[in-house]
Amino acid sequence: MANPLYAHIAAVLSVMAAAYAAARWRKLGVELCMLAAAVAGGLAGAVVQTPPIGELARHLVEGTFTYLDVMLVFVTATIFITIVTESGGVDFIVRAIVRAFHRQHLVALLLLMILILIPGALTGAGSVSVLTVGAPSALAMGHLGLSKRRTAAILFIVAGLSAAAPPVNIWAMVICAGTAIPYVGFTYALGIPVLLLGTFTILTLGWRRDHRVSRDEALRAMPQPPPGMNWWRVLLPFGAFFGTVAASRLWPFATPVMGLPLQFTLAAIVALLCSPRRINALALSRDTVRRLVPLLATMAIVGSLQQIMTVTGVRGAISYAVIAMPLALLYVLLVVLLPISEGLLTYGAAAIIGIPLVWYLDSIGLHATIVIAGLSLLWPLGDGLPPTALIGRLTVMVSGYEGSYWSFLKETWLPWLAITAAGIGMIVYSAKLSALVAWGL
Amino acid sequence: MSRSGPVKGLLVAVVASVAAVAGAQFHQHRHQRLPIVAGPAVARVASLSEYGEGLARTMADTKVFFLQGAEPGGSALIMAGTHANEIDALLSALIFVENAVVEKGTLIVIPQLNHSASVYTRPGDGCPLFYGIETPWGTKVFRFGDRGASPLDQWPDPDVYVHYPDAQLLSFLDARNTNRSWPGRPDGLLTERVTAAVMRLLAEERVDIALDLHGAETMFPVTNCIVAPERSMRIATMASMTVTAMEGFENHVEPSPKGFRGLSHREIGDHSDTAPFLLEAPFPFLDQPTGPKTRDLLMTGRDPFLLSLAGQQKLFVPYDESGWPIEKRVGQHCSVALEIINQFSRKRADRAIRISEVPRYADLVRNGVGFYFHDPSKADPARVHLD
Amino acid sequence: MPLVMIVYYVICLFIAGMLVWNFAREKDDRQMMLLYLVVLVPLVLRLLRIN
Ligand SMILES: [Zn+2]
Repeated sequence: MANPLYAHIAAVLSVMAAAYAAARWRKLGVELCMLAAAVAGGLAGAVVQTPPIGELARHLVEGTFTYLDVMLVFVTATIFITIVTESGGVDFIVRAIVRAFHRQHLVALLLLMILILIPGALTGAGSVSVLTVGAPSALAMGHLGLSKRRTAAILFIVAGLSAAAPPVNIWAMVICAGTAIPYVGFTYALGIPVLLLGTFTILTLGWRRDHRVSRDEALRAMPQPPPGMNWWRVLLPFGAFFGTVAASRLWPFATPVMGLPLQFTLAAIVALLCSPRRINALALSRDTVRRLVPLLATMAIVGSLQQIMTVTGVRGAISYAVIAMPLALLYVLLVVLLPISEGLLTYGAAAIIGIPLVWYLDSIGLHATIVIAGLSLLWPLGDGLPPTALIGRLTVMVSGYEGSYWSFLKETWLPWLAITAAGIGMIVYSAKLSALVAWGL
Repeated sequence: MSRSGPVKGLLVAVVASVAAVAGAQFHQHRHQRLPIVAGPAVARVASLSEYGEGLARTMADTKVFFLQGAEPGGSALIMAGTHANEIDALLSALIFVENAVVEKGTLIVIPQLNHSASVYTRPGDGCPLFYGIETPWGTKVFRFGDRGASPLDQWPDPDVYVHYPDAQLLSFLDARNTNRSWPGRPDGLLTERVTAAVMRLLAEERVDIALDLHGAETMFPVTNCIVAPERSMRIATMASMTVTAMEGFENHVEPSPKGFRGLSHREIGDHSDTAPFLLEAPFPFLDQPTGPKTRDLLMTGRDPFLLSLAGQQKLFVPYDESGWPIEKRVGQHCSVALEIINQFSRKRADRAIRISEVPRYADLVRNGVGFYFHDPSKADPARVHLD
Repeated sequence: MPLVMIVYYVICLFIAGMLVWNFAREKDDRQMMLLYLVVLVPLVLRLLRIN
């Protein structure tokens, strides 16, 4: 146990923590605190040549590429949805939902749940759900009598579930790619828990109305869509997006690979053309980018942090700690470990913890596919946890909740517990649940 | 000029200089070429684009070495660099190119199959850009690469990668992975064009057996083995038993799973007359729970975390204080490859391939890897190929 | 270069342009200035086809 490596890694980890704390004390934002931790960790590592000092700049910069494509998705998707909002499309949709379902508010909420599940299920990113249908759904929930806080809570949980939902679950795909387990058989293993947990979330958080608004009152209080707005103008931009996604699934070999950023860009252009109001696209893009910069910087810096943690051995040590743990303790710790790792590393968590964990659990006789499905239910919860709090922050942004971040997160406790119980249960009893895979594709 | 001018200038200067230092290193990594000294048997050096026009003038075009025997016979293909971060494969392939004497038949070697992957390292993974191998004439420098092609050559990734032609859904990460793009298509993604070109090469050159060299994590259940489909099973079993009995390292055979598409050992068997084999040697550098990803770990495979996990029976290969040094890993590849060719030639005398002067496991453990590389500055310039 | 890839460079250029514009307009917040530059790093290196 006297290997000097352990002392080096421990030293780097403490320097990183100290730099983070010092930056926090100097009142720097979360992003710059993480940057400080990454730079300090790299410098500390360079003392023992991990990394050699001449390569430190390259590691810091290379890390910022880790989530470059995700950053492009955020920018293009947010510009798209902002154009739809500015054109009055969101107001139009919300009026329609409130008009049709004002009396049966649980039916309306379940429909909204399905609506929120679709974009994330297709793209694997809960953030896409929040960014596309989040704002209109949140407005509609408000007019159905839900407080902003519970609206944000529902949106966050369902968007997280949408990321886990089949057919595209990026955590599962990252693990499958790294473990050489085929990415097949997840349709029911993920689909059934997601629908059950989503319904549970709607029933627990949406049952009670915080305030009652009469239909006419609600409609009067809502902003008027601009004259000339109609279903065609609202649905065409979404049709452009889902049309390209659907085409890439239906005719995968005839459709060129477009990627989400281009699909959102096309939808944004269609939305611009369909808007009955004149929109200044340049000013809108500029302001959207400014609003997103903290989030984009988080993605870039988390990548750097991840790279520095790897090159100094911190990441390996964490991975080791997870695998070396006794099984019972592991199950208990997964409850907190998985969300926290997601909050720290986002999809990187699936690679660092998920891949070795699945190999290990597979080797002791658990059913790998169900284990992966269970793990990937827990990870999205971490998208509400700092430092990244990716979906959480987007949710607060689009739902217009103005209370403290933690008060919003506290509101999610009951579905959070249910999802945790379901995920851990699937892992522990995976061998007995293998029928879920047998029914699947 | 506003009050914020100097602050902005300072910030730009700091960020730009960090980016410039990094950028210079990325640029060098992408454009430095690897000199390969063609050995005595090399009769022709082709470009893969001769078998797939879609690769011409791209970073994915790569050298194909034809090692010709005096006597006609069968033909074997060795592919390395499918995953450009699994360095033992490339080193083994170069030992064949620089040393092999072919008496009968033809040996074809593609040292850097996914060439675009060899000029890129994965963000977030903290890998070195270069590594050196000590030789009697100095250090030979190699580029470290990635598992997938560079996004500078294939971008964007799809949201889901749909395998051609089976339409199996795979992770978007695998769109740039040439071991998920078999059998490929000539007008598809760059990675699909690479494998499609090799499929054409297999047919045109009447290749009997194709060997795909890899390295695998010690925590990965499929390692120290030959992965083979039904067609290759007998030869693989004979080769595996022979090296285990005669050369003193572990090896076993894994059947190629039917439900997992896009892999060389699956699709080459299903879409051509060639019998495929995929060779895995342990490569601790790839394991998640290790210390820093240093050049030392790359060479020795020694790591205290893995040693501790070995004590808890959590690894799938034997592992002790000596780690898993590069000589052993490359030696295993050379011996297993030679033995597969040997077993095939015994079974099909009409298509036999006879090779000599390639070191086996014991030779590599004794002499090291660098001993078998030739000094490009002393070689006939016409025999030095930059890849 | 395939058409889709060219479009991606255009998208990158557009976003980089928006970041530079915002950076130029930023007067007081030094933290935001640094964040703009950090986000620009991967975009610019990709646009220059460095990484
Ligand atoms: Zn490999």
